[in-house]
Amino acid sequence: MTEKKPCVLLVEADILVRHPLAEYLRECGYRVLEVNNAAEARALLEREPSAVDVVLAETDGASSGSGFELANWIRRNCAGIDVELAGTVAKAAEKAGDLCEEGPALAKPYDHSLVLDRIRRLMAARERNKPKR
Amino acid sequence: LFPNPEQQTRPSHVLVVEDEAALRAIVAEELRSRGLIVIEAVDADEAWAYFESGGSVDVVFSDVQMPGSMNGLDLARRLNAFDPYLKIIITSGRFAPREGEEIHAFLPKPYLLDHAVAAILAALEARRRGGVS
Repeated sequence: MTEKKPCVLLVEADILVRHPLAEYLRECGYRVLEVNNAAEARALLEREPSAVDVVLAETDGASSGSGFELANWIRRNCAGIDVELAGTVAKAAEKAGDLCEEGPALAKPYDHSLVLDRIRRLMAARERNKPKR
Repeated sequence: LFPNPEQQTRPSHVLVVEDEAALRAIVAEELRSRGLIVIEAVDADEAWAYFESGGSVDVVFSDVQMPGSMNGLDLARRLNAFDPYLKIIITSGRFAPREGEEIHAFLPKPYLLDHAVAAILAALEARRRGGVS
């Protein structure tokens, strides 16, 4: 029987931040569920509350509720789930690094600062490739 | 004539575009369990943002009706113009692609997970063999 991996629910509005962070956490041995906003996070938690161990969320939360509101909702409705809030991309990468330190894999695949570098490169490429208006 | 080792070892990348978080996660996790790199986009705009950043993609598996400025068929047209070798699978319960639409396959919703995975693996194989959809 395979051991159940601890699960991180990653709440981040920008795919260029969310995908590299999620891949990093997967390489650290976590199962990662990716959502774009607080409403999606709530829908997943209502459907499968026991599946998630930690929620890593941005504080701004784009269109449907802030990370703070989500954290309050989780504390009221989902006992036992830890919530980590990050106000900036750098903070989110740092928190992902912290999760990796205590994560299921024996060693981190690489330092979280490399994830941050990758995210910044992707964002710069997106800006460069946007059609000029 | 000389094989490129980087190309030979690069895992295949599948971009899953689906606004229903639970369905997106189920498809993505099944594909990951088969060794594929999966990028999860919540709508066509996110998928395009990933493309604009220069992210790798071999196959796109996209819903049609999603919030945002584009639907899945608009996305497929844009991606085709960008890379005619990209394999695009469209899925929908309400909209079928018109004849002449340049997509690799159409999978009606609701679909069985096995059917979705088989369609994606077949598209990856077609991508490896080369040729326009």
